[in-house]
Amino acid sequence: MLAAIRSATLFGVEGRPVTVEVHVATGLPSFQIVGLPDEACRESRDRVRAAVLSSGLVWPASRVTVNLAPSSQRKGGSGLDLAIAIGLLAASQQVHPDSVDGLGFLGEVGLDGSLRGVAGVAPMVAALGSGVRPVVPSASAREAQGVAGDAVRVAGTLRQLVDALNAEAPWPEPPDNDLVDDIVPLPDLADVSGQAAARTALEVAAAGGHHLLLVGPPGSGKTMLAQRLPGLLPPLDAAIALEATMVHSAAGVRLPPGGLVRVPPFRAPHHSSSMVSLVGGGGTTLRPGEISLAHGGVLFLDELGEFAPVVLDGMRQPLEEGVIRLARARASASMPARFLLVAATNPCPCGGGPPGNCECDEAARLRYLRRLSGPLLDRFDLRVPVHRPDVDDLLASGGGESTALVAARVAAARQRSMDRIGMLTAHIPPAQMDALAPLDPDARALLRAELEADRLTGRGYHRVRRVARTLADLRGDELVGEANVAMALQLRVRLRVTSRGFAA
Amino acid sequence: MSALPPEAYAAALAGLPAMTVHRLGALLRHHQPELAWQVALGSAAPQGLMRKVMADPATRAAIVRQANAASPEQTWRRCEALGSEVLVSGSARYPSLLAADPLPPPVLFALGSLDLLEGRRVAIVGTRNATAAGREAARSLGEGLAHAGVHVLSGLARGIDGCAHRGVLSAGGAGRPLGVVASGLDVVYPREHRDLWRSVADGGLLLSEVPPGVTPQPFRFPLRNRIVAALAEVVVVVESRERGGSLLTANEALDRNVPVMAVPGNPTNRAAAGSNALLRDGAAPVLDAGDVLVALQLDHRWANASAATERRRPPSRDERVVYDIVRHEPRTLEGVALAAGLELVDVAVRLGRLEIAGWVSQADGWFEVVGSPAP
Ligand SMILES: [Zn+2]
Repeated sequence: MLAAIRSATLFGVEGRPVTVEVHVATGLPSFQIVGLPDEACRESRDRVRAAVLSSGLVWPASRVTVNLAPSSQRKGGSGLDLAIAIGLLAASQQVHPDSVDGLGFLGEVGLDGSLRGVAGVAPMVAALGSGVRPVVPSASAREAQGVAGDAVRVAGTLRQLVDALNAEAPWPEPPDNDLVDDIVPLPDLADVSGQAAARTALEVAAAGGHHLLLVGPPGSGKTMLAQRLPGLLPPLDAAIALEATMVHSAAGVRLPPGGLVRVPPFRAPHHSSSMVSLVGGGGTTLRPGEISLAHGGVLFLDELGEFAPVVLDGMRQPLEEGVIRLARARASASMPARFLLVAATNPCPCGGGPPGNCECDEAARLRYLRRLSGPLLDRFDLRVPVHRPDVDDLLASGGGESTALVAARVAAARQRSMDRIGMLTAHIPPAQMDALAPLDPDARALLRAELEADRLTGRGYHRVRRVARTLADLRGDELVGEANVAMALQLRVRLRVTSRGFAA
Repeated sequence: MSALPPEAYAAALAGLPAMTVHRLGALLRHHQPELAWQVALGSAAPQGLMRKVMADPATRAAIVRQANAASPEQTWRRCEALGSEVLVSGSARYPSLLAADPLPPPVLFALGSLDLLEGRRVAIVGTRNATAAGREAARSLGEGLAHAGVHVLSGLARGIDGCAHRGVLSAGGAGRPLGVVASGLDVVYPREHRDLWRSVADGGLLLSEVPPGVTPQPFRFPLRNRIVAALAEVVVVVESRERGGSLLTANEALDRNVPVMAVPGNPTNRAAAGSNALLRDGAAPVLDAGDVLVALQLDHRWANASAATERRRPPSRDERVVYDIVRHEPRTLEGVALAAGLELVDVAVRLGRLEIAGWVSQADGWFEVVGSPAP
């Protein structure tokens, strides 16, 4: 007796449809899986057998062959367990064969017969197609509903599922979706006292899409500032939200209520992170990395200089293109990775401080900056000093503006930029700078003086102009004026390398 | 071999790592250079203090091994190629200032004009990690002294030392730069001082007590400082840390009854902690080159206002508000805005203009004043 069950597997952040064909025939009892399963997939046999037996069902004393089609594509993980179990039960007549028509089964089975969620349910549900009702473990209900809505069927155990398929019990209700404890409020900018320059930098970064480097000693609040950037960004639009949801699902990260990632994500990988965890890859299924999890939001790299240079180097291509392409011997995948990069670093090994405070010797300082100036330093439009505020300053400055207030200005500036030039200012190509971000004469004179004094490199020049344009958008200025350029220059601090030279 | 002058052997001896100043002094006091070399090779019997030194088997082995690996001929050829003069203590050309010193360099290597040691001499020393204000003070002191015909001694280190000599060179006055270094005269350290090094040798005097080819070793820097102190009539410390090397120079100067003066720094400036401590201990303050000239009893107050200061556009009234805040102590952008009660962007515009005019400099987000405009 043969049963064919619809299911799907995950590759990168994409689901791919798979048909699980289970053939139960007379002969010596055996169990074989064919069709390029990986190790986890091959272990299905043991899980499925234990689950079937502990659910009070019968393991057929027959020759069982499981074929995963199409056979050309490698299948990974434990997500096919449920389909294999149902296929086996249908082929051995324990589940009515007609009952599985029009259904697709996703999920892992536990030895005790429970159904367990797996990573990537959202893209796998999408891969089943619109004519198929997905059946998923209760734990994955939210992810599946984000894609397929009310068509989703859930079950908590294999027994429940079999009873529902055989119409001996009603389908279990999906768990209540909007659990209050899931809603974590974003940190508010109003909690940050002082730090006027860094606040401005966050606003500019959000409004123009500029990557931001925060330079300051430990304890100056760099992390606190970075965490407040996602709150300034607009909610993800429908297309990006779907992409971000697929990535989160594929990585096994819990999805928010409603199953769709709408709030710009904030990811802060540690500097000891491996290449695979940061940019993705590894295993048969090519898991998404932190840069993809940050898609649509913010990737925060604290202590930038401590990241392995090879890892930072691996981020250059995605920073350029907004997607990460991973190629493996058998397959290649591309995953979305368009994020705002925020990094933080000390100015020098001792943390620096006011002039004369630093006690590092020149060579150590130089080595430190050389680590920084590797692959990524030239990606930052904004390079902003963050100082440990002193008590007087804190008292004088009082509380700052709230996230809501600043986010409204950011949204207006982004709209202005999209209306006028059809892109965020960070993406203005150098060749179109004069056309898309014209300067008034005073602004031009200031920039020329900076170039002549060797305080600005050619690359720095374009970055300052883009930032000045964003500042103009935030103020609603038509032309970029001297004030915009002067402020942009202050948001691109020079790092002292020696007593005379500066890092560009 | 026999064509080599005695200085060649003295030069080679000065390059042996095991040959301390005391040992070399004793060796050359009791032996002619060529015989001293034979002693170092282990093929002649030592006299005087060296008898005790060479009696220690480990020391003897080290000296003999190093001497056998060295070549007086090669050292001499390097000196000749470089144009360096080799002065052995006790010889006619050896500077009398050093001959009278408690710890004179037994062998001295010189590039440039030794006659400059007959002129008036002030040492300017300080930290390598100086603030912009400190560097500007060193530069303008060097410039002012050179204008008044005073030679400026320094160690050619980064920071204060280098700035003082740059000031001297930019003045183009009768005062010349005198540099004392811890490495061989052909081993430029720090490397970014290559041009400065060259200019000092060409337009002034460069001295070392080790032969060409010797790389800088940490233990040689304090020894170099004693020569700076021995050659100076006054030592001016511009910015020194609490336990900075320039305080060692000041101590060497005090041991030799050479007056020590210091440029006052802001109490919060850690780079000036050592020089401020000197002031508290009674060192005379230096506000400009005139104060040093008074100490030298060259009390014709020399025509003030350096050329560089005059060339700058004076700050506007708006800019002045911001300048005065930064002059008080280094500030950040938001620090200035809070103190001035101005919007960030207004401060940014004013600081930008001040920086272009050259009144303010910025590094790591901190603003400092550079020089002072007429009130
Ligand atoms: Zn430091």
